[in-house]
Parts: sequence; structure tokens; C-alpha cells
Amino acid sequence: MKNVRIFYKKLGSMKFVSHLDMTRFMSRLIAKSKIPVWYTEGFNQHIYMNFALPLSLGFEGFYEMVDIRLIDDSYSLDTCLEALKKSSPTDIEFVKIHEGKMPMKSIGFARYELEFESFDFADTLNDFLNKDSILCEKIGKKGKVKEIDLIPKIKSFKITQKGVDLILVAGSEDNLNPTLVIDTFFTQCQIKLCYYTVKRTMIYNLDGEIFE
Amino acid sequence: METYDFEKLLLSVQKPGRYSGGEINSVVKDKKEVDVRFAFCFPDTYEIGMSHLGMKILYSQFNSREDIWCERVFAPWLDFEDKMREQNIPLFALESRDSVKDFDFIGFTLQYEMAYTNVLNMLDLAGLPLKSKDRKDLSPIVVAGGPCACNPEPLAEFIDIFFMGEGEEVDLEVIDLYKEYKKKGAAKDEFLLAASKIEGVYVPSLYSDEYNEDGTLKALVPQNNVSATIKKRIIKDLDKSYYPEKFVVPFIEIVHDRAVQEIFRGCIRGCRFCQAGFIYRPVREKSVDTVNRQAKCLCENTGYDEISLSSLSTSDYRAIEPLLNNLLEWTEDSHISLSLPSLRIDNFSEELLEKIKHVRKSGLTFAPEAGTQRLRNVINKNLTEEEILNTCRTAFAGGYTAVKLYFMLGLPTETDEDVVGIAELGQRIVNEFYSMPNKPKGKGVTVSISVSTFVPKPFTPFQFEPQISLEEIRRRQELLKNSITTKKINLSYHDSATSFLEAALARGDRRMSTVIEEAYKMGCKFDGWTECFGPQKWYDAFKKCGLDPEFYANRTREYGEITPWEHIDVGVTKDFLVRENKLAHQNKTTPNCREKCSACGANCYGEGVCFEKR
Repeated sequence: MKNVRIFYKKLGSMKFVSHLDMTRFMSRLIAKSKIPVWYTEGFNQHIYMNFALPLSLGFEGFYEMVDIRLIDDSYSLDTCLEALKKSSPTDIEFVKIHEGKMPMKSIGFARYELEFESFDFADTLNDFLNKDSILCEKIGKKGKVKEIDLIPKIKSFKITQKGVDLILVAGSEDNLNPTLVIDTFFTQCQIKLCYYTVKRTMIYNLDGEIFE
Repeated sequence: METYDFEKLLLSVQKPGRYSGGEINSVVKDKKEVDVRFAFCFPDTYEIGMSHLGMKILYSQFNSREDIWCERVFAPWLDFEDKMREQNIPLFALESRDSVKDFDFIGFTLQYEMAYTNVLNMLDLAGLPLKSKDRKDLSPIVVAGGPCACNPEPLAEFIDIFFMGEGEEVDLEVIDLYKEYKKKGAAKDEFLLAASKIEGVYVPSLYSDEYNEDGTLKALVPQNNVSATIKKRIIKDLDKSYYPEKFVVPFIEIVHDRAVQEIFRGCIRGCRFCQAGFIYRPVREKSVDTVNRQAKCLCENTGYDEISLSSLSTSDYRAIEPLLNNLLEWTEDSHISLSLPSLRIDNFSEELLEKIKHVRKSGLTFAPEAGTQRLRNVINKNLTEEEILNTCRTAFAGGYTAVKLYFMLGLPTETDEDVVGIAELGQRIVNEFYSMPNKPKGKGVTVSISVSTFVPKPFTPFQFEPQISLEEIRRRQELLKNSITTKKINLSYHDSATSFLEAALARGDRRMSTVIEEAYKMGCKFDGWTECFGPQKWYDAFKKCGLDPEFYANRTREYGEITPWEHIDVGVTKDFLVRENKLAHQNKTTPNCREKCSACGANCYGEGVCFEKR
């Protein structure tokens, strides 16, 4: 049995698929591809899958990954990738596959590229992100509202032609969703709400290296 | 609409996966390469429509033809409809996102009367006139089929063509005829007249309705020498008929999110309230080999980890045990679980229970329908209390601790004793559990009793019967509630106003079209959804049209009265329905089709259970 990390892009209409739906979708896709995968052995047996970082509904992902386990050691990774490619719809693009070089828990940052429908507040955004601290309220998992500072969680940012590239803390320990940054910006700087698209383009480890 | 704008729109509504399309196995063709575009409309939400087997069959079958492109359309939920109307986005098909107005056919499947206003709403969202006579062009032709089409009259003003019975053959015959008429540039009238000659096709505009002074139907007069009766179509050999090799697999969770394998059509039982039990006659089975092959193929092409066997009464499949053995041979290794809905309580054997124990255990659901033996005889639910208790005992011994029971209130001849009998039956099941020495340890029992209100339907022996009044329904619900003394029984019941309107619509005549239109204009839609349903608007609509819902719902019909569905021939004869009605009033049962033929008339199709060797 070996652990295998599958890298894929989640594009176009797939961005309307929530994380929960995505797990169901991926398990059917794997079953359909007839890859010899390991099933959990609990009461409700299902394909073992470990997703790196959930992607919010509405975001496109260019560096998504999921770990599965192959029970047949002689089954090659290339065959596995081909099988997946063959059964996937157009908006899921399987890119590469390897045995996973870093543990999932070493994920530290993710890069998001945001584009605004009309971007006429570049300077205001720049000033906002350059502040020493940005306090805002975050609703935790249990519905508790707590005040957090965004600045330590923003590793770096770059204003672009149509928006901003953000590198934010990510992972199971601490995670910052770019919509919280932008919503806070809209509210605190009194900018009129504006539609924007989000692409998650890269995931890094705690040392800032590309996650593999 | 540009993809960017469309995506922006979708992100502003709930469950965008309902509208995004692009699911695995959805069919995208080049519109220039096809002759006929068919918009298959389900007048309810995506989650409900996508669970419907008939749509899956016809979608795949139509698309298996190179010259046809069939796409799916569902009723947009309220939030999305608001956006569509606000931004002038017409009703579109999921695959191409093209407006359905430009399609050749717009086809509705009618599963439930309370979806009728959604049919109108979808036509309106498409930008089409609601009434058949106001749509002058050859296309789009608005067609409809499904169980509710067996009384087509309430929607007669809106639909161009109704398909009677099973669609696999007749739909394609009509599409082929349309191709021919489209090519020669024919007018809509010419096409409709020609289509009406095809067996199973009903063109309501070719019949005119006349009424007696008492408001009952006098006659439905055929025009232009069209046939006075329309005969339902059936597929004679299910082993040879089309069955999809793959289903569209939705991204979002739907109501029945699994592969569905049909095993037979029709039902041998003849429960007197059940419309499906009569309109799908005669019973026709698929062979074990066919079922096994098709089921395997479906699982392989969808990746579903659950397959459900579909029929009106699964345990009546003659070869159920060999079938389960064959299926379990591969499903277990592939981690696929098998579910068997519609099991009957009386032939639920220990072996069968043992077999389904191999797979994921879900709840145990039975439908005794009535609380006393006398009333179960009236409705021809040939099932004794001893059998119910026996089955529960078997199930409890097998580790089940929750039982769900379905009942109906207001069945013909029902007395207070019968109502209280429901609570008593529930209590006896609870007692049975606690009296068992081998009951599951450390667990209590839960008996859930779900009570709906009886709705008399066309083509059943109870089509002549009145529905009890709203006040009476409520009184009996109270009586039942007060008869339950244990917390081990959970009681829930359906909304009675919904059942009342369902009863009025189910047996409505053509004048009901104006009521439905009026109700729709007053804002009725998604009437099957508690959060949307407003009975007062419906009562106002009836009033405005000068009609009385009680005339349709609560009136006893004489055997001799001409029903609005008199011109539809589903095989089962009216004589038979009358005989059955009389037997019901004598508390007498009728044996099932395999025990003894009761000459219902369905043998006119020359197929199925009527000709099985016994």
C-alpha cells in the first residue's frame, strides 16, 4: 500500500461545487476510474481521501491536491493519472501525481489572485494592506465571534492591474480566507461592494517553499 | 449571456450547482448538427427532478439519437427566479444555456398535481404564452407526460400534446413526425392533427368540452374525426427496451443520489387507493440477466457507491433471491451497497432480511395504510396484523430498532375506530419489541407513524369516492394524536390543505385550467413546498373562476357519471373499477394478479403478468 498525492485544477463550472460536494464527486470519479484504492474499514466504508485545503465555493483552484492510498503496489502512478484524466469532466484537470513529498500538516501559506470587476481603488487597497494592524471580527467554527488582526496573517501582497495577489496563512492550524480581507477592506474603507473573482494559484509549506 | 456574468449571477444565489450544468455524463452536442432540440422540463427543483428515473431514461434515449439533442431544465428556486426576472434572463437549458423558447419541443413530466403552477411559471419564464392557442408557431411544441397526464384535462389549455403511458416509443414517433412536418414548413395545426393519429397521443385542442346543468361533464366531443378514445402506450418487452448505460451524476446532493435499476413496471397488488397500481398495468418484469447487466453498467459509468432496485413492490419480483445473489456477487467487492425500497411487509422473509443485512442498514419502512383489518380489506391491502407483527419481530431480531409506518386518514368507510386503530397498531409494535427476549440490547424502539390524507385519484376504484372535508381531516388528526399514549411513537402528518387541493386538481375537468392560471397569476408556485404554499390564494382563484373546489374534492361520483378522463384508455376498464368499488364497500378483498386474474382489462396489451405461466 502506498500513499499517493494527486494534483489537479478545479476550474470553470467546478467552482460552484462546494468542498463537501467535491469529496463526494472525487470519490465517484475514483470509483469510476477503477483505480485500486484503499477503503476505510469503519462502519460506513468509503474511499480514503485526504484533501490538502478545502477551497471555498466560487474560487478556482490551480494547485489543488488530494491524497489517496493505492493497495496495489505494482499499479503505476502514470496509469493512475491516465485513468483519472480519462474519466474527469473538462473543468477538473489532473496535472501530476507523486507519492507526496511533504506532510499535509506542513502547509503554511496559499497564494490567491483576486480580480475586481472595476478596480478603481488600488491606492486605497495598497494603503489598507500596508497598515500596521487590521482588526476585524472573525466568526469561528463554533459560531463564536472573536477579534483578530489580519496583518500577521498576510505574508505578502502585490497590487496588480485588475486587483491584488495575496499570500495568506493557510492550513489546519491557522487559515485566512481572502474574502475576509476584502470584506473588511470594503467595510473599513467604505468602498462600494464590488464583484471579484478568486483563484488559488499556489500552496506553500511553512518555510515558504512550493508544497509538494 | 457571457460566462463571466453568468458565474457572477450564480454566486449570488443558493446552491449554484443547480444551474451550472457541466455534470459528469451530461450530453453536449453541436446544435448545428442536430435536427430536433428537446427541452426536458421537470417542474420542480433540480434536486427532485434529477432523482426522477423517467427523465434519466428519456434523456439518454433521446440523446442516443444523433439527430436529437435533449437537455434538462428545472424550475429555478425563488431566489434565482427573482434574479432571472430582474435581469431578463429567459428560462434556459442546463447543457447549452440556450433559451428554451428556441427549442423544437418543451416537454414536461407531470409527477404531482401540486407542480402544475410550476409548469405555467416555467412557460412564462421561457417567454411563451401560457395557452396552447396563443402559441401560433410550429415550434416550440409543448408536450407533457407522466402519471398525472392520465387525467390531462386540468392542463388541457396549456399543453399542445399529451403522451399517454410510457414514453420510450411514442415520444420518438412524434419527434419523427415533427421532423417531417418541420421540413415541409407545415403549420402547427396540421402537425397536431397528424400527431393525434399516433396511438397514445392526445391533442386536447381537438376536443371540446360540454357540461350538464349540475356542473358534471356532459361530453368531450372530438373534432375533425379524431379518435374518441386515446389508448395508453406500454413497452411490451422490457428486456429489449432502452435503458440508460449512464446517468448524469450531479455535483450537489440530490434526493435520491444513487444509481437506480428498474426491475419491473406495474404492480400485481391492486391496492384500491393506488393510482400507480392501475395505470402501469400489466406487470412486466425484466429478466435477472438484464437487471444484473444494466445495474453493473450503471455503477461502472457513474461511480455511484449505492444502487437501488426500483419498482412499485420490489419483493414481488419473482426471482428476487437469485437476483440478489447475482448482484451481491459483484457489489460487495466493488464496495457498492444495495438498497431495496418498496418491500412489502407480507413476503419479507428472513432470508431476504439476511441478504439486505449484508449491505448498509437503513431504516425499515412499512405501509399498512390503515389501522384495522376491516379497513385494510376495504383498500385491498392484503395484509394482516399478524404479518405486520411477524415482520417487525424478524426485523427487531435482526437488529433493527426503528420502524417507520405509513398510514392514510380519510379512506372510504373509515370510522373513529379505524383512526384509533392506527395508534393501537403502533402500540402493539412497541409492546412486541419489549416482549422479545432477544431484542437488541441497550436500545429503545422508535415507531414513526406518518399519516397522509387520502386523495382519490383517477383510474382507481376510489375515483368515485369523496375526500373527507378539511374540518373532518383535522378532527381525525386530533383524535389520532390523542390516542397515542407512548413517547416511543412519533406521529407526523401531511398538510391537509395540500391534500384537499391535490384532490380537486387530480379529478379536475378542463375548466380547472382557468383556476390554475388564476392561482398562478396570484403568485402560486412550488405548491408542494410548505414554505411556498398558500391555500387562500387557491381558494380565491376558485372563487374568481366561479368554481367550487369541494365539487371536485368532496363529491361522490355516480358510477354512470362521465369523468373528465373517460376518453383515456389505460387498459383497466371502468367496469372493473366499479366492481372493485363495490367489493370495497363490502369489505371484500381481491386476490393479486398472480393468485387469480380479476379481469381488469389490462390483458388487452397481450403481454406481462396476464400471460405468465403458472
